[in-house]
Amino acid sequence: MKKDDLAEFQEDLQIFLIELDEILADTERNLVDLERSPDAALVQEVFRAMHTVKGGAATLGLDDAVEVTHTMESIMERVRSGEQELTSEMVDALFHVLDWLKMWKVSLEEHMDSPPAEDLIKEMQRFVLEPHTESAKVKTRPADGKHTLGEELNQKLDEYLSQNMPVYEVVVKFRPDADLLSVRCFQVFTLVSEAVDVIFSEPSVDEMESDDVGDVLTMYISCEDGGEMARQIAGSVGDVIEVSVTPYKPTNAPEAGRESPDATVKTSSLGRTVRVDVELLDFLMNMIGELVIDRTRLTQLASRLLVDKDTAVIGNELAALASHLQRTSQELQEGIMKARLLPLKNIFSKFPRMIRDLANRCGKQIDLEIRGENTELDRTVLEVIDDPLIHILRNAVDHGIETPEERRHMGKPERGKVILSAWHEENQVVIEITDDGAGMDPEALKRSAVNKGLVSVEEAGRLSEKEALELIFMPGFSTAKVATQVSGRGVGMDVVRTNLERINGHVEVRSRLGVGTTFTLKLPLTLAIMRALLVECSGCIYAIPTSSVEEAITVSKDGIQTIKGKPTLLVRGRIFPFVSLEGVLNDDPWAHQHGLQYAVLTRSNGEALALGVDDLIGEEEIVLKDMGKMLARLKGIAGATILPDGDPALILDVNRLL
Amino acid sequence: MSETRYFYEEDSEKGTERQIVAFALGSETYGVDISQVREIIPIQKIVPVPRAPDFVEGIINLRGKVIPVLDLRKHFGFEKKERDDEQKIVLAESHGESIGVIVDSVYSVLRIPEDSIEPPASVITGDDVGYISGIAKINDSLIVLLDLSQIISDAESRTLKEIDLASAVVK
Repeated sequence: MKKDDLAEFQEDLQIFLIELDEILADTERNLVDLERSPDAALVQEVFRAMHTVKGGAATLGLDDAVEVTHTMESIMERVRSGEQELTSEMVDALFHVLDWLKMWKVSLEEHMDSPPAEDLIKEMQRFVLEPHTESAKVKTRPADGKHTLGEELNQKLDEYLSQNMPVYEVVVKFRPDADLLSVRCFQVFTLVSEAVDVIFSEPSVDEMESDDVGDVLTMYISCEDGGEMARQIAGSVGDVIEVSVTPYKPTNAPEAGRESPDATVKTSSLGRTVRVDVELLDFLMNMIGELVIDRTRLTQLASRLLVDKDTAVIGNELAALASHLQRTSQELQEGIMKARLLPLKNIFSKFPRMIRDLANRCGKQIDLEIRGENTELDRTVLEVIDDPLIHILRNAVDHGIETPEERRHMGKPERGKVILSAWHEENQVVIEITDDGAGMDPEALKRSAVNKGLVSVEEAGRLSEKEALELIFMPGFSTAKVATQVSGRGVGMDVVRTNLERINGHVEVRSRLGVGTTFTLKLPLTLAIMRALLVECSGCIYAIPTSSVEEAITVSKDGIQTIKGKPTLLVRGRIFPFVSLEGVLNDDPWAHQHGLQYAVLTRSNGEALALGVDDLIGEEEIVLKDMGKMLARLKGIAGATILPDGDPALILDVNRLL
Repeated sequence: MSETRYFYEEDSEKGTERQIVAFALGSETYGVDISQVREIIPIQKIVPVPRAPDFVEGIINLRGKVIPVLDLRKHFGFEKKERDDEQKIVLAESHGESIGVIVDSVYSVLRIPEDSIEPPASVITGDDVGYISGIAKINDSLIVLLDLSQIISDAESRTLKEIDLASAVVK
């Protein structure tokens, strides 16, 4: 392919991928609705969506996706023509297609191999070829399972899943000609079982000890990190040529393992691109125009100052100019902040499917109603609230809504309802999650908190009903059952609250026993946000705004030269005095030079400066926090922020560091 | 938030009383009027702030707010102490500014009669005049009463002074 063609291909691909995101989100939602109530228009829409994806994939020559979408299209065609009814089982299978497309999309973005499609196509073809007879047999084993597991093992694994503990199948392949395969096998088994809970292994330990092994070791493990640790550990052992980790799916429908595709989508759903309204862009352009005019006026004034003696007149003009400049830059800032806004739809769109899968798994019937999904929020806020929302919604399904029998008993409709709504309120966005479930019992919460040793019996006795509800936000309150499997990240309500407070947000809860629970999230519309490079220096983490960072480089010992005995780095012909950040902060810039691995190239007061640090942690969006009057004027320190792990960190003001 | 306002309780027989939170610092006992104390929290991760005055131990994250924490031991020139579980951070608020102070351990809330409190001798307070508001004698033992709002404003002006000094040196 010629270079131009390649560039063009990349561009087309980019557009296709953005489109694909929307199509997948819409289709997922349509399928959830379709399953609840058949609707010819929706069937048509799903059909058309698959047709569009197929067309796009075909144009770009991506054959595997063409095949996959084609099978889904054929199924929808049969449904559309009335040849076949859409069963829950088919919806599951169609969801698998969407999951596959999501993984496929990620593989395209990351330039990786496409996920295997054979099993999926087989699964789909069953519905096309033998439409009426298969349903009973379909789920006797995992649709893509490579092993036929003993019934006992299946039960055991399902038990784990039913307790919301994710199970993964880890297949480790060794070099077939390796010596001492049984030792390698045992090594992997021991190391992995030290790190995670190994439920079952094939070959068993006995077999390993009696040398009865092949070149494949299969383990079923339970862990919270999506099997990543197991993968790394196994991969580090010699003679291992391949490690694959797949979520284990239970033998009985509905299938589990839905979280992993969610997780895949999560990383890419917000992407790095933002669509900006043309009007807003025009406005920003106008503001830049104003700035350019100001710049010209400033230059003129400066040259007049050199010849003109009437400084009072020039002073007045300068003051007027300064105030104009201030207004313009402020509007510019607000405009840019607006450009960062994204509709909540970006994260809400995956919830209908999530609720459906979760509800099926718990044997509950739940409708999710979404309101105000076009409400816009800063993208950083959006990223931060994603996990808390997932957590609260899961809780609503797990603990809020009762089973159909219980609901009937209570005189409630069998289908439970969860309402997720969002709206603007003054300078805030409010998101509310309401369920019409069992509600929380303040007395039960108090007992639980006392049992966990979080409050004493006397303290619990003094708590009002409202205060008792607040107990759920205490660290250590969330039971293990609650704090599992949110896309593999274990979080409790305390983490939910901490995360929201990090971005100046707030969460409250109201609940009435037997009537339901409401969580209210109040979020700032925009934030004092900046991008910053996080660096580590003698055990502390500092944030350096990227606006003052030119580059971060690795420092080798022989890369350092001296001028008058002072260390200096020569980077692409430019000279950077090399000081250690620790030294600078202790007002002794040339101290603490030893063992510095990295340098951050900056400009301090217009002069090049390389700051030596122990480690580069990465670039992140941070929220500026006030430190109070006492520390407000420290030289070289612009303020503080709170890191994702909850620790505070200082933000450096490079211009005033020295 | 609220200005410093002492909490007096009328008691017909004993006269007025003051409620204080008593805590240990070295071998001495200190007390702070309960109205100045917003919260008492366990010691947590304190991130040091370079270039801050040396009695500033660092900053903490209190529910999304960044709050400076002072080490009263350093403030009073006591010797350094290893961190232990007994130590607590007493959070105070004055004029909308919050600070935390590290204390060795918190005893309890005491009621002390107003007439057991004496003004401090200037030879003891030295430069610290203002934030030692009195000395209470309870059963032969002494409790030094602190005014945290004075400590906040004192710390502020000391920080500013040091900064101005530092920038003067640079120039």
